[in-house]
Amino acid sequence: MPSCSTHVGKHSMASNANPACCYRLTAPAAGGPPRSRRGRTGIRWEWFLWPSLLVSLVLLVVPQANFVWLSFHGDLGLGQVSAGLTAENYARILTDPFYLSAFWLTVYLSAMTVGFGLMVGFPAAYALARIGGWTASLLLSLILTTSLITVVVKLMGLNIILGSAGLINRAILALALTSSPIPMLNNEFGVFIGLVQYTLPMMIVLLFGVVQTIPVSLEEAAAILGATRAATYWQVILPNAKAGLLASGLIAFNMSMGAFTSAVLLGGGRVRTVPVLIQQAIIQDTDYGKGAALSTMLVGFVFLINVAVVAVSVESSRKRRWQRAG
Amino acid sequence: MASVSLHNISKVYGNTRIVDDANLTVNEGELVVLLGPSGCGKTTTLRMVAGFVQPSDGSILIGGEDVTYMAPRLRNIGMVFQDYALFPHMTVAENIAFGLRQRRVGRAAIAARVAELLDLIQMSARGDSLVTALSGGQQQRVALARALAVSPRVLLMDEPFGALDVRLREAMQLELTQIQRRLGITTVLVTHDQQEAMILADRIVVMANGRIQQTGTPDELYHNPRNRFVAEFVGRNNVLSGRVEETRNGESLITLRCGMRMLVPTGQRIQPGETVAVTIRPQHLMIAGTRTADADALTGRMEEHRFLGNVVHYLVRLPSDDVLLVEGAAGMAPPELGTDVSLTWRKDRALVFDARGQALHGE
Repeated sequence: MPSCSTHVGKHSMASNANPACCYRLTAPAAGGPPRSRRGRTGIRWEWFLWPSLLVSLVLLVVPQANFVWLSFHGDLGLGQVSAGLTAENYARILTDPFYLSAFWLTVYLSAMTVGFGLMVGFPAAYALARIGGWTASLLLSLILTTSLITVVVKLMGLNIILGSAGLINRAILALALTSSPIPMLNNEFGVFIGLVQYTLPMMIVLLFGVVQTIPVSLEEAAAILGATRAATYWQVILPNAKAGLLASGLIAFNMSMGAFTSAVLLGGGRVRTVPVLIQQAIIQDTDYGKGAALSTMLVGFVFLINVAVVAVSVESSRKRRWQRAG
Repeated sequence: MASVSLHNISKVYGNTRIVDDANLTVNEGELVVLLGPSGCGKTTTLRMVAGFVQPSDGSILIGGEDVTYMAPRLRNIGMVFQDYALFPHMTVAENIAFGLRQRRVGRAAIAARVAELLDLIQMSARGDSLVTALSGGQQQRVALARALAVSPRVLLMDEPFGALDVRLREAMQLELTQIQRRLGITTVLVTHDQQEAMILADRIVVMANGRIQQTGTPDELYHNPRNRFVAEFVGRNNVLSGRVEETRNGESLITLRCGMRMLVPTGQRIQPGETVAVTIRPQHLMIAGTRTADADALTGRMEEHRFLGNVVHYLVRLPSDDVLLVEGAAGMAPPELGTDVSLTWRKDRALVFDARGQALHGE
């Protein structure tokens, strides 16, 4: 699925929340093969890394490094920052419950999105992978095409469904289930829906690839050995899909943590996730120091979560193997 | 153990009859091999016995019980898959125990049975290995042990040796036949390799184009093929086309395209003027030297010879452009390539088939 990997790259770059992407770009040049190594064709393949390295250096590493530098300066207002170095921005964020609850809210919404996405996306991906052939290719292309539609247009479209005069609320009112419309926009629920819509296509495409690596013969073997469908799912499909589920979940989590448009358009500015606060600090308040500190913390925080999740999963599988051997 | 019967089994996908009216009985303890080229319907037939494919028509009985529409998990069948389908996240022992766990067998009983099977496949020391760490032959053994662990009524095997190299394949074939005979388990095995079929089978079922062509012991199929397909598919064979000149008393005078005339028993079904195919095995052709006075000898040009150790294969091109495979004993100096040689043959071993490919001998 070549289109899938390009998508991952695009989104994680755009959201800036996936530090793994800049590592991926710089690592080959730093610790790569010795420069003298030529293929049988005599072509120095490592030279092809330079353009992308240069682009990422100019457009990503330099501005980001500058941003981190900025975060250690106090704000003087009107976009001016103090000359001396200080950690006061970080101290302020870490001691202010307002910011801490923003971090919690962002994690909470992202985790909910991932959980819901896996629950909805995995069966869909499973079905597509097992159907296979033209039908699956066509449906997968349709799903991918939806991520081509600008987020703004997609999210505004949700108003028609979720708004107080939207289809769902009109149905609820018509059935007299409640006396007033249920607010589904400009609140956390709205942002949640937006994040799901943003990440689900990606998740399905990634999980499709995961299911494809599990041969149908494994399921047939389980069946002929007497396993019910449920037993096959829990004992064969899920354990073999675990690593893929984890990876897809992390990617969706990273996308959600950095998602700004969904939070602003469907949260109506009232749902203050970290990306929203960053935008407010930098664009509205011109508090560059504070915004930079928030941004740096978000990237660092997401990076730590990624490392922790991967470490825990590697450790648990290592332990399992140890228990078996011993 | 149980017998397996297929009654008028057909499988239709769209307009294609993958399996067409198959009838077959596999007796208790018998090892039957479904043999045929790819796309002949042998695997589909096996998968219908397993329950992964629903027959379009007909019924399947295992031990006298109609299982045509029974779910695979209720059939109590063991199956070895082409890719082994071992559970990669489990150890050898966990793989073998899988079927027993589904049957809610107690811990101690499972451990005992797993130990028993590890012993059977001579892998007692590898119970705790992850299956991904095993060699192809070991994976094959684990797949067999996993299938046998639940004491199935029938064992199904889908091209089980396809992924192994020649040496290992022969060793595993021997091991399988020994285990199968020891346990006396009814076994149906699918392969496209006629040599493998002849090594393993009590009886072979030759399939082509969805139809069972012939069922019989390897000996019967080799010496008494019922049609031209079986004659060509089981063992090496030479096919020559010819024409019936005249018939009398159940014998026909046939002129081959290469000019040879022969009088062979063909029964009463054939009329003068009909085209026929005559088959003759490579070992029933003999190189008679450069020229002989024998009027019935064939003359051709030596095109190729291949030394195979115990025998030598010669390819001889006749003036009619038929190329014959001749098998001779090693030891004699082969005629030079490009020279003309005479061939004699044992006409009593020639078999004749009519234009539809049906055998005319042995009626």
